[in-house]
Amino acid sequence: MGVENTDYREESLDLRNPFDVKLLSQFLCDLGFDYIPEDVDYSMILYNLNDEIIGTGSYKGRVLKYVAVAPKFREGAAFAQIVTHLIDIVIQKHNHIFVYTKPRNLMVFKGLGFTEIATAEPLFSVLEFGYNNIKTYQDYLRSIKRDVNVGGIAAVVVNCNPFTMGHKYLIEKACRENRVVYLFVVEEDRSSFNFTTRWRLIKEELGHIDNLVMVKGGNYVVSGTIFPSYFLKQEKKSDIAACQAELDVITFMRYIVPIFNINRRYVGTEMYSPVTKAYNEAMIKHLPPNGVELIEIPRISSGSKDNYISASKVRQAIREDKLDDVIDFLPTSTRRFLLSEDSAHIRAKIKSKVTRH
Amino acid sequence: MTPKFKAQAGTFESSDIMVLIEPVAEGSGRQVDISSTVMLQFEEDLKVCINQVLDVMEIENVHLIAKDKGALTPTIKARVETAVKRSLGIQEGTL
Repeated sequence: MGVENTDYREESLDLRNPFDVKLLSQFLCDLGFDYIPEDVDYSMILYNLNDEIIGTGSYKGRVLKYVAVAPKFREGAAFAQIVTHLIDIVIQKHNHIFVYTKPRNLMVFKGLGFTEIATAEPLFSVLEFGYNNIKTYQDYLRSIKRDVNVGGIAAVVVNCNPFTMGHKYLIEKACRENRVVYLFVVEEDRSSFNFTTRWRLIKEELGHIDNLVMVKGGNYVVSGTIFPSYFLKQEKKSDIAACQAELDVITFMRYIVPIFNINRRYVGTEMYSPVTKAYNEAMIKHLPPNGVELIEIPRISSGSKDNYISASKVRQAIREDKLDDVIDFLPTSTRRFLLSEDSAHIRAKIKSKVTRH
Repeated sequence: MTPKFKAQAGTFESSDIMVLIEPVAEGSGRQVDISSTVMLQFEEDLKVCINQVLDVMEIENVHLIAKDKGALTPTIKARVETAVKRSLGIQEGTL
Protein backbone atom coordinates (compact mmCIF):
# COMPACT_ATOMS: atom_id res chain seq x y z
CA MET A 1 0.00 0.00 0.00
CA GLY A 2 2.78 2.39 0.95
CA VAL A 3 4.28 2.22 -2.48
CA GLU A 4 1.19 3.54 -4.19
CA ASN A 5 0.80 6.52 -1.90
CA THR A 6 4.24 7.85 -1.21
CA ASP A 7 2.98 11.38 -0.58
CA TYR A 8 1.16 10.44 2.57
CA ARG A 9 2.24 8.19 5.39
CA GLU A 10 -0.24 5.93 7.13
CA GLU A 11 0.32 5.13 10.76
CA SER A 12 -1.76 3.05 13.11
CA LEU A 13 -2.28 4.41 16.57
CA ASP A 14 -1.35 2.79 19.83
CA LEU A 15 -4.57 3.31 21.75
CA ARG A 16 -2.83 2.60 25.05
CA ASN A 17 -0.42 5.43 24.51
CA PRO A 18 -1.87 8.60 26.08
CA PHE A 19 0.23 10.80 23.83
CA ASP A 20 -1.21 9.26 20.67
CA VAL A 21 -4.72 9.49 22.03
CA LYS A 22 -4.27 13.12 22.98
CA LEU A 23 -2.89 13.94 19.54
CA LEU A 24 -5.92 12.45 17.87
CA SER A 25 -8.41 13.88 20.36
CA GLN A 26 -7.02 17.34 19.69
CA PHE A 27 -7.19 16.94 15.93
CA LEU A 28 -10.75 15.62 16.04
CA CYS A 29 -11.86 18.17 18.59
CA ASP A 30 -10.96 20.98 16.19
CA LEU A 31 -13.20 19.34 13.61
CA GLY A 32 -16.09 19.01 16.04
CA PHE A 33 -15.74 15.36 17.00
CA ASP A 34 -15.66 14.06 20.52
CA TYR A 35 -13.12 11.23 20.34
CA ILE A 36 -13.62 8.40 22.81
CA PRO A 37 -10.81 5.81 22.59
CA GLU A 38 -13.00 3.17 24.24
CA ASP A 39 -15.38 3.57 21.35
CA VAL A 40 -13.00 2.16 18.74
CA ASP A 41 -11.02 -1.01 18.07
CA TYR A 42 -8.46 0.67 15.88
CA SER A 43 -7.43 4.14 14.76
CA MET A 44 -5.08 5.36 12.08
CA ILE A 45 -3.60 8.72 11.21
CA LEU A 46 -2.51 9.98 7.84
CA TYR A 47 0.51 12.31 7.78
CA ASN A 48 2.12 14.18 4.95
CA LEU A 49 5.87 14.44 4.56
CA ASN A 50 6.00 17.49 6.83
CA ASP A 51 4.43 15.39 9.58
CA GLU A 52 1.21 17.36 9.51
CA ILE A 53 -1.90 15.39 10.24
CA ILE A 54 -3.95 15.14 7.09
CA GLY A 55 -6.75 12.99 8.36
CA THR A 56 -7.80 10.05 10.47
CA GLY A 57 -10.12 7.10 10.57
CA SER A 58 -11.20 4.40 13.05
CA TYR A 59 -13.43 1.41 13.25
CA LYS A 60 -15.25 -0.59 15.87
CA GLY A 61 -16.39 -4.04 14.80
CA ARG A 62 -17.69 -3.50 11.32
CA VAL A 63 -18.62 0.15 11.67
CA LEU A 64 -16.30 2.84 10.39
CA LYS A 65 -16.05 5.81 12.71
CA TYR A 66 -14.40 9.19 13.07
CA VAL A 67 -13.39 9.40 9.44
CA ALA A 68 -12.24 12.97 9.01
CA VAL A 69 -9.86 15.00 6.88
CA ALA A 70 -8.43 18.41 7.74
CA PRO A 71 -10.18 21.14 5.72
CA LYS A 72 -7.17 22.27 3.70
CA PHE A 73 -6.48 18.74 2.43
CA ARG A 74 -10.00 17.90 1.38
CA GLU A 75 -9.35 18.43 -2.32
CA GLY A 76 -7.02 15.48 -2.54
CA ALA A 77 -7.25 11.73 -2.28
CA ALA A 78 -6.71 11.61 1.48
CA PHE A 79 -10.25 10.55 2.27
CA ALA A 80 -10.14 7.68 -0.21
CA GLN A 81 -6.81 6.57 1.17
CA ILE A 82 -8.09 6.47 4.75
CA VAL A 83 -11.18 4.50 3.81
CA THR A 84 -9.10 2.09 1.71
CA HIS A 85 -6.75 1.53 4.64
CA LEU A 86 -9.63 0.79 7.02
CA ILE A 87 -11.53 -1.43 4.64
CA ASP A 88 -8.40 -3.48 3.91
CA ILE A 89 -8.44 -4.47 7.56
CA VAL A 90 -12.14 -4.70 8.32
CA ILE A 91 -13.04 -6.77 5.26
CA GLN A 92 -10.76 -9.56 6.51
CA LYS A 93 -13.05 -10.13 9.46
CA HIS A 94 -16.45 -8.97 8.26
CA ASN A 95 -18.31 -9.45 5.03
CA HIS A 96 -20.24 -6.35 5.57
CA ILE A 97 -19.21 -2.83 6.57
CA PHE A 98 -21.39 0.04 7.72
CA VAL A 99 -20.94 3.77 7.92
CA TYR A 100 -23.15 6.25 9.71
CA THR A 101 -22.72 9.78 8.59
CA LYS A 102 -24.50 13.08 8.21
CA PRO A 103 -26.68 13.34 5.12
CA ARG A 104 -24.46 16.06 3.69
CA ASN A 105 -21.53 13.60 3.55
CA LEU A 106 -23.62 11.02 1.73
CA MET A 107 -22.16 11.80 -1.67
CA VAL A 108 -18.59 11.44 -0.43
CA PHE A 109 -19.14 7.84 0.63
CA LYS A 110 -21.33 7.04 -2.35
CA GLY A 111 -18.47 8.16 -4.54
CA LEU A 112 -16.34 5.43 -2.96
CA GLY A 113 -18.82 2.73 -3.83
CA PHE A 114 -20.83 2.64 -0.62
CA THR A 115 -24.55 2.10 -1.01
CA GLU A 116 -27.12 4.14 0.85
CA ILE A 117 -29.62 2.16 2.86
CA ALA A 118 -31.66 4.92 4.42
CA THR A 119 -31.55 8.54 5.51
CA ALA A 120 -33.29 10.20 8.43
CA GLU A 121 -33.12 13.93 7.83
CA PRO A 122 -31.44 15.95 9.15
CA LEU A 123 -29.13 13.86 11.33
CA PHE A 124 -28.18 10.51 9.84
CA SER A 125 -27.59 8.38 6.84
CA VAL A 126 -26.56 4.72 6.85
CA LEU A 127 -24.44 3.26 4.12
CA GLU A 128 -23.10 -0.23 3.57
CA PHE A 129 -20.29 -1.88 1.70
CA GLY A 130 -19.09 -5.43 1.22
CA TYR A 131 -19.83 -8.88 -0.09
CA ASN A 132 -23.29 -8.98 1.44
CA ASN A 133 -25.75 -6.20 0.96
CA ILE A 134 -29.39 -5.50 1.36
CA LYS A 135 -30.07 -7.49 -1.81
CA THR A 136 -28.57 -10.60 -0.23
CA TYR A 137 -30.97 -10.15 2.67
CA GLN A 138 -33.88 -9.61 0.29
CA ASP A 139 -32.96 -12.84 -1.51
CA TYR A 140 -33.10 -14.60 1.85
CA LEU A 141 -36.54 -13.09 2.48
CA ARG A 142 -37.77 -14.25 -0.94
CA SER A 143 -36.52 -17.76 -0.21
CA ILE A 144 -38.73 -18.09 2.88
CA LYS A 145 -41.72 -16.15 1.58
CA ARG A 146 -45.15 -17.79 1.76
CA ASP A 147 -47.16 -17.56 -1.41
CA VAL A 148 -49.84 -15.31 0.04
CA ASN A 149 -50.30 -11.84 -1.36
CA VAL A 150 -53.78 -10.81 -0.28
CA GLY A 151 -55.55 -10.73 3.05
CA GLY A 152 -53.96 -9.99 6.37
CA ILE A 153 -50.17 -10.27 6.16
CA ALA A 154 -48.62 -9.14 9.40
CA ALA A 155 -45.15 -8.47 10.72
CA VAL A 156 -44.04 -8.69 14.32
CA VAL A 157 -40.54 -7.69 15.38
CA VAL A 158 -39.23 -9.10 18.63
CA ASN A 159 -35.98 -9.28 20.50
CA CYS A 160 -37.29 -11.68 23.16
CA ASN A 161 -34.60 -11.16 25.73
CA PRO A 162 -35.90 -13.55 27.06
CA PHE A 163 -39.08 -14.88 25.49
CA THR A 164 -42.10 -14.23 27.78
CA MET A 165 -45.83 -14.88 27.91
CA GLY A 166 -46.27 -11.31 26.70
CA HIS A 167 -44.47 -12.06 23.43
CA LYS A 168 -46.32 -15.33 23.11
CA TYR A 169 -49.69 -13.62 23.55
CA LEU A 170 -48.88 -10.93 20.98
CA ILE A 171 -47.66 -13.42 18.37
CA GLU A 172 -50.52 -15.86 18.87
CA LYS A 173 -53.03 -13.04 18.63
CA ALA A 174 -51.46 -11.86 15.36
CA CYS A 175 -51.56 -15.43 14.03
CA ARG A 176 -55.28 -15.74 14.75
CA GLU A 177 -56.08 -12.46 13.03
CA ASN A 178 -53.99 -12.85 9.89
CA ARG A 179 -53.33 -15.26 7.05
CA VAL A 180 -49.58 -15.13 7.50
CA VAL A 181 -47.41 -13.66 10.22
CA TYR A 182 -43.73 -12.94 9.65
CA LEU A 183 -41.92 -12.94 12.96
CA PHE A 184 -38.63 -11.03 12.78
CA VAL A 185 -36.20 -11.97 15.50
CA VAL A 186 -33.52 -9.35 16.12
CA GLU A 187 -30.27 -11.03 15.22
CA GLU A 188 -27.76 -8.71 16.75
CA ASP A 189 -26.09 -10.23 19.78
CA ARG A 190 -26.14 -7.27 22.11
CA SER A 191 -28.65 -8.86 24.43
CA SER A 192 -28.04 -11.03 27.47
CA PHE A 193 -29.63 -13.96 25.69
CA ASN A 194 -27.83 -14.71 22.45
CA PHE A 195 -29.59 -15.04 19.14
CA THR A 196 -29.42 -18.83 18.90
CA THR A 197 -31.00 -19.22 22.33
CA ARG A 198 -33.72 -16.65 21.73
CA TRP A 199 -34.54 -18.23 18.35
CA ARG A 200 -34.67 -21.74 19.83
CA LEU A 201 -36.93 -20.80 22.75
CA ILE A 202 -39.43 -19.14 20.42
CA LYS A 203 -39.30 -22.04 17.99
CA GLU A 204 -39.93 -24.63 20.72
CA GLU A 205 -42.98 -22.79 21.92
CA LEU A 206 -44.51 -21.55 18.67
CA GLY A 207 -42.97 -23.69 15.94
CA HIS A 208 -46.19 -25.66 15.53
CA ILE A 209 -48.24 -22.66 14.33
CA ASP A 210 -48.90 -23.10 10.62
CA ASN A 211 -49.12 -19.52 9.47
CA LEU A 212 -46.14 -18.27 11.43
CA VAL A 213 -42.88 -17.74 9.55
CA MET A 214 -39.79 -17.01 11.61
CA VAL A 215 -37.39 -14.57 9.97
CA LYS A 216 -33.84 -13.71 10.95
CA GLY A 217 -33.53 -9.98 11.47
CA GLY A 218 -30.15 -9.83 9.74
CA ASN A 219 -28.42 -6.49 9.86
CA TYR A 220 -31.44 -4.51 8.95
CA VAL A 221 -34.05 -5.08 11.60
CA VAL A 222 -33.34 -2.99 14.67
CA SER A 223 -29.63 -2.83 14.25
CA GLY A 224 -29.71 0.46 16.10
CA THR A 225 -27.50 -0.88 18.85
CA ILE A 226 -24.43 -0.33 16.71
CA PHE A 227 -25.52 3.21 16.23
CA PRO A 228 -22.94 5.80 17.20
CA SER A 229 -24.06 9.00 18.79
CA TYR A 230 -20.55 10.36 19.10
CA PHE A 231 -20.65 13.00 16.42
CA LEU A 232 -23.84 14.50 17.70
CA LYS A 233 -22.78 15.86 21.02
CA GLN A 234 -24.80 19.03 20.50
CA GLU A 235 -28.02 17.16 19.77
CA LYS A 236 -30.44 15.95 22.38
CA LYS A 237 -30.37 12.26 23.19
CA SER A 238 -34.08 11.99 22.46
CA ASP A 239 -33.59 13.44 18.96
CA ILE A 240 -30.93 10.85 18.27
CA ALA A 241 -33.17 8.03 19.43
CA ALA A 242 -35.96 9.35 17.24
CA CYS A 243 -33.77 9.53 14.15
CA GLN A 244 -32.34 6.12 14.79
CA ALA A 245 -35.84 4.69 15.06
CA GLU A 246 -36.75 6.46 11.88
CA LEU A 247 -33.85 4.85 10.02
CA ASP A 248 -35.01 1.43 11.14
CA VAL A 249 -38.58 2.07 10.12
CA ILE A 250 -37.61 3.50 6.73
CA THR A 251 -35.44 0.45 6.07
CA PHE A 252 -38.30 -1.83 7.03
CA MET A 253 -40.72 0.10 4.82
CA ARG A 254 -38.48 0.30 1.81
CA TYR A 255 -36.86 -3.13 1.67
CA ILE A 256 -38.91 -5.62 3.65
CA VAL A 257 -42.57 -4.62 3.28
CA PRO A 258 -42.64 -4.84 -0.54
CA ILE A 259 -41.24 -8.36 -0.57
CA PHE A 260 -43.74 -9.89 1.82
CA ASN A 261 -46.58 -7.49 0.94
CA ILE A 262 -46.96 -6.79 4.62
CA ASN A 263 -50.04 -4.75 5.45
CA ARG A 264 -50.08 -4.87 9.23
CA ARG A 265 -47.53 -4.49 11.94
CA TYR A 266 -48.18 -5.53 15.53
CA VAL A 267 -46.45 -3.89 18.44
CA GLY A 268 -46.80 -4.05 22.20
CA THR A 269 -47.63 -0.85 24.07
CA GLU A 270 -44.47 0.55 25.55
CA MET A 271 -44.54 1.46 29.20
CA TYR A 272 -41.05 2.21 30.30
CA SER A 273 -38.44 2.55 27.58
CA PRO A 274 -38.04 5.94 25.89
CA VAL A 275 -36.13 4.26 23.06
CA THR A 276 -38.92 1.88 22.22
CA LYS A 277 -41.37 4.72 22.62
CA ALA A 278 -39.48 6.73 20.01
CA TYR A 279 -39.53 3.66 17.80
CA ASN A 280 -43.29 3.35 18.08
CA GLU A 281 -43.68 7.05 17.28
CA ALA A 282 -41.57 6.67 14.16
CA MET A 283 -43.82 3.81 13.08
CA ILE A 284 -46.93 5.93 13.56
CA LYS A 285 -45.34 8.55 11.36
CA HIS A 286 -44.20 6.27 8.53
CA LEU A 287 -46.26 3.09 8.39
CA PRO A 288 -49.93 4.08 8.02
CA PRO A 289 -49.30 6.59 5.16
CA ASN A 290 -47.58 3.78 3.27
CA GLY A 291 -50.37 1.28 3.61
CA VAL A 292 -49.24 -0.64 6.66
CA GLU A 293 -51.74 -0.64 9.46
CA LEU A 294 -50.15 -0.32 12.88
CA ILE A 295 -51.83 -2.36 15.56
CA GLU A 296 -50.86 -1.64 19.12
CA ILE A 297 -51.62 -4.40 21.59
CA PRO A 298 -51.82 -3.49 25.27
CA ARG A 299 -49.46 -5.53 27.39
CA ILE A 300 -50.97 -8.37 29.30
CA SER A 301 -50.42 -8.64 33.00
CA SER A 302 -50.06 -11.53 35.37
CA GLY A 303 -52.25 -11.61 38.47
CA SER A 304 -52.94 -8.01 39.44
CA LYS A 305 -53.60 -5.41 36.77
CA ASP A 306 -50.43 -3.35 37.01
CA ASN A 307 -48.16 -6.36 37.20
CA TYR A 308 -47.58 -6.28 33.45
CA ILE A 309 -45.26 -8.77 31.84
CA SER A 310 -41.95 -7.52 30.53
CA ALA A 311 -38.66 -9.13 29.61
CA SER A 312 -36.71 -6.51 31.54
CA LYS A 313 -38.55 -7.50 34.72
CA VAL A 314 -37.48 -11.07 34.08
CA ARG A 315 -33.86 -10.01 33.72
CA GLN A 316 -34.17 -7.92 36.87
CA ALA A 317 -35.50 -10.96 38.72
CA ILE A 318 -32.61 -13.10 37.47
CA ARG A 319 -30.20 -10.45 38.67
CA GLU A 320 -31.76 -10.52 42.12
CA ASP A 321 -32.11 -14.30 42.22
CA LYS A 322 -35.89 -14.04 42.51
CA LEU A 323 -36.87 -16.08 39.50
CA ASP A 324 -39.87 -17.47 41.36
CA ASP A 325 -41.54 -14.04 41.37
CA VAL A 326 -41.74 -13.96 37.60
CA ILE A 327 -42.17 -17.63 36.85
CA ASP A 328 -45.73 -16.97 35.68
CA PHE A 329 -44.36 -14.61 33.03
CA LEU A 330 -42.54 -17.38 31.27
CA PRO A 331 -43.73 -19.87 28.67
CA THR A 332 -42.67 -23.49 29.11
CA SER A 333 -39.61 -23.30 26.86
CA THR A 334 -38.06 -20.30 28.65
CA ARG A 335 -39.00 -21.62 32.08
CA ARG A 336 -37.36 -24.95 31.40
CA PHE A 337 -34.28 -23.26 29.99
CA LEU A 338 -33.86 -20.86 32.89
CA LEU A 339 -34.25 -23.59 35.47
CA SER A 340 -31.73 -25.82 33.74
CA GLU A 341 -27.95 -25.79 33.93
CA ASP A 342 -27.72 -24.70 30.26
CA SER A 343 -28.60 -21.16 31.23
CA ALA A 344 -26.04 -20.89 34.03
CA HIS A 345 -23.60 -18.74 32.05
CA ILE A 346 -26.36 -16.41 30.85
CA ARG A 347 -27.67 -15.96 34.38
CA ALA A 348 -24.16 -15.27 35.59
CA LYS A 349 -23.71 -12.72 32.80
CA ILE A 350 -26.90 -10.87 33.71
CA LYS A 351 -25.91 -10.72 37.34
CA SER A 352 -22.49 -9.36 36.57
CA LYS A 353 -23.62 -6.26 34.72
CA VAL A 354 -26.17 -3.57 35.21
CA THR A 355 -27.31 -2.51 31.77
CA ARG A 356 -30.70 -2.18 30.28
CA HIS A 357 -30.18 -5.14 27.94
CA MET B 1 -9.45 -22.90 -10.48
CA THR B 2 -11.64 -21.88 -7.58
CA PRO B 3 -10.82 -19.05 -5.20
CA LYS B 4 -10.09 -20.21 -1.67
CA PHE B 5 -9.83 -16.95 0.28
CA LYS B 6 -11.50 -13.58 0.46
CA ALA B 7 -9.23 -11.11 -1.24
CA GLN B 8 -9.08 -7.60 -2.53
CA ALA B 9 -6.89 -5.39 -4.66
CA GLY B 10 -6.94 -1.72 -5.49
CA THR B 11 -7.96 1.45 -3.72
CA PHE B 12 -10.82 3.91 -3.69
CA GLU B 13 -8.75 6.62 -5.25
CA SER B 14 -9.66 8.35 -8.47
CA SER B 15 -8.55 6.46 -11.61
CA ASP B 16 -8.30 3.25 -9.65
CA ILE B 17 -10.64 0.35 -9.06
CA MET B 18 -11.29 -1.68 -5.91
CA VAL B 19 -11.80 -5.36 -6.61
CA LEU B 20 -13.17 -7.69 -3.94
CA ILE B 21 -13.38 -11.43 -4.34
CA GLU B 22 -15.39 -13.85 -2.28
CA PRO B 23 -15.14 -17.62 -2.71
CA VAL B 24 -18.42 -19.34 -3.56
CA ALA B 25 -19.48 -22.98 -3.69
CA GLU B 26 -18.40 -25.08 -6.66
CA GLY B 27 -20.96 -24.84 -9.46
CA SER B 28 -22.58 -21.59 -8.43
CA GLY B 29 -21.09 -19.69 -11.34
CA ARG B 30 -19.77 -16.18 -11.72
CA GLN B 31 -21.43 -13.27 -10.07
CA VAL B 32 -19.91 -9.94 -10.98
CA ASP B 33 -21.30 -6.81 -9.30
CA ILE B 34 -20.05 -3.58 -10.78
CA SER B 35 -20.49 -0.04 -9.62
CA SER B 36 -18.68 2.82 -11.23
CA THR B 37 -18.60 6.58 -11.38
CA VAL B 38 -18.78 6.16 -15.15
CA MET B 39 -21.38 3.41 -15.08
CA LEU B 40 -23.45 4.86 -17.93
CA GLN B 41 -20.56 5.13 -20.35
CA PHE B 42 -18.44 2.11 -19.49
CA GLU B 43 -20.44 -0.54 -17.67
CA GLU B 44 -20.29 -2.95 -20.61
CA ASP B 45 -16.56 -2.38 -21.17
CA LEU B 46 -15.88 -3.03 -17.50
CA LYS B 47 -17.83 -6.28 -17.59
CA VAL B 48 -16.09 -7.48 -20.72
CA CYS B 49 -12.69 -6.57 -19.34
CA ILE B 50 -13.24 -8.30 -16.00
CA ASN B 51 -14.69 -11.41 -17.63
CA GLN B 52 -11.72 -11.59 -20.01
CA VAL B 53 -9.32 -11.78 -17.10
CA LEU B 54 -11.47 -14.37 -15.35
CA ASP B 55 -11.61 -16.39 -18.60
CA VAL B 56 -7.86 -16.31 -19.01
CA MET B 57 -7.34 -17.40 -15.42
CA GLU B 58 -10.06 -20.04 -15.74
CA ILE B 59 -12.10 -18.85 -12.81
CA GLU B 60 -15.65 -20.13 -13.11
CA ASN B 61 -17.06 -19.90 -9.59
CA VAL B 62 -16.60 -16.57 -7.92
CA HIS B 63 -18.36 -13.57 -6.46
CA LEU B 64 -16.54 -10.47 -7.62
CA ILE B 65 -17.35 -6.92 -6.61
CA ALA B 66 -15.82 -4.01 -8.46
CA LYS B 67 -16.00 -0.39 -7.29
CA ASP B 68 -14.59 1.61 -10.12
CA LYS B 69 -13.51 5.23 -10.10
CA GLY B 70 -12.65 5.59 -13.74
CA ALA B 71 -9.74 3.15 -14.02
CA LEU B 72 -8.12 2.52 -17.40
CA THR B 73 -8.19 -0.95 -18.92
CA PRO B 74 -4.65 -2.01 -17.89
CA THR B 75 -5.42 -0.93 -14.32
CA ILE B 76 -8.62 -2.93 -14.27
CA LYS B 77 -6.87 -6.01 -15.64
CA ALA B 78 -4.03 -5.73 -13.14
CA ARG B 79 -6.34 -5.26 -10.16
CA VAL B 80 -8.56 -8.17 -11.11
CA GLU B 81 -5.56 -10.41 -11.76
CA THR B 82 -4.00 -9.54 -8.41
CA ALA B 83 -7.24 -10.03 -6.52
CA VAL B 84 -7.71 -13.43 -8.17
CA LYS B 85 -4.14 -14.48 -7.39
CA ARG B 86 -4.54 -13.41 -3.79
CA SER B 87 -7.77 -15.35 -3.49
CA LEU B 88 -5.99 -18.42 -4.86
CA GLY B 89 -3.12 -17.91 -2.47
CA ILE B 90 -0.56 -17.73 -5.30
CA GLN B 91 0.26 -14.03 -5.18
CA GLU B 92 3.65 -13.28 -3.71
CA GLY B 93 4.75 -9.94 -2.33
CA THR B 94 2.70 -6.79 -2.20
CA LEU B 95 3.72 -5.17 -5.47
